[in-house]
Amino acid sequence: MIDFDRLDKTIHEKARLSIMTLLASRAVWSFQELKAELGMSDGNLITHLRTLMAAGFVEEKKDDTGTRPRTTYGLNEEGRKRFKEYLEVLESIVRAMRPPA
Amino acid sequence: MSIQLDALESLRVIRSLMERAHIYRAISAPAATIGGLFAVAAGVAGAVPGVGEFFSQPRPFLATWLLILVLTSAANFWLLSREAARRNQPTISEGMRMAMRTILPPVGVGGILGIGTLLWSGDMGMAATYWMLFYGLALLGTHSFSPRSLVWLGWGFIALGVALFAVLGSGYGDLQTFLRSGRGASLAMAASFGLLHLIYAGCVCMGSKPEIRTQQ
Repeated sequence: MIDFDRLDKTIHEKARLSIMTLLASRAVWSFQELKAELGMSDGNLITHLRTLMAAGFVEEKKDDTGTRPRTTYGLNEEGRKRFKEYLEVLESIVRAMRPPA
Repeated sequence: MSIQLDALESLRVIRSLMERAHIYRAISAPAATIGGLFAVAAGVAGAVPGVGEFFSQPRPFLATWLLILVLTSAANFWLLSREAARRNQPTISEGMRMAMRTILPPVGVGGILGIGTLLWSGDMGMAATYWMLFYGLALLGTHSFSPRSLVWLGWGFIALGVALFAVLGSGYGDLQTFLRSGRGASLAMAASFGLLHLIYAGCVCMGSKPEIRTQQ
């Protein structure tokens, strides 16, 4: 029996799931890269990033050493762990759809 | 059932984004067209009796192909920068760094081997072989993040390089002598760096699809 409550509600929202997926694909993403890849507005993207940071999944870093300040985002250990668990729950739901062999 | 369909949709989003996040096209189709046209023009010019006398010596042969390399690389960098700017991304993105880390070592080693062979033995056919094989290896090295067309381009260079190597070592007198000369090597360069890049560019243009944007 699948416990659907195990699906993390913070991640289980299409925009935040997309952000988490990109952040899981490589160590660091700049705000502009995320925005371009997801086609989101600045306001929408920052709102979802703040939600994920408040949940303790995402870390923000500001780099002022270059010619322009650059803000980057990455998953922390907790974020990676929770994303992996989320995927496992999704997989178990999909497996349950298949008729028994 | 809706939660299951929802789960499938979530997995589809994850898969699609993961694939896109990992793909980086290090050689743009327009740059491949430019490089291909330069290479075909130089290769054919080098093979024409009379006009091609200039290429019969290793140094002019080397200078010509280095010039084509510099021009095409500059065009490629400019086109990739423009594409990055259009997408509001930095020119030196993580994808470009990854591509450079993969491509530069084999291309550098192949370049040095080819230049050394040209300058020390004057064997232009063998220099072209090294350039084809190492360039092909560099492209194959990008398989984990490149689109399939770029990997096939790499296999094309490997196949032509191996074929040229086999002919050069096989002892088919006239053909071997021809391919070691400036005229033969120029034709080999036109067939590989010219035609293969043009075929690649054509395939990319025919297969290009509009970008899919994730819904907000």
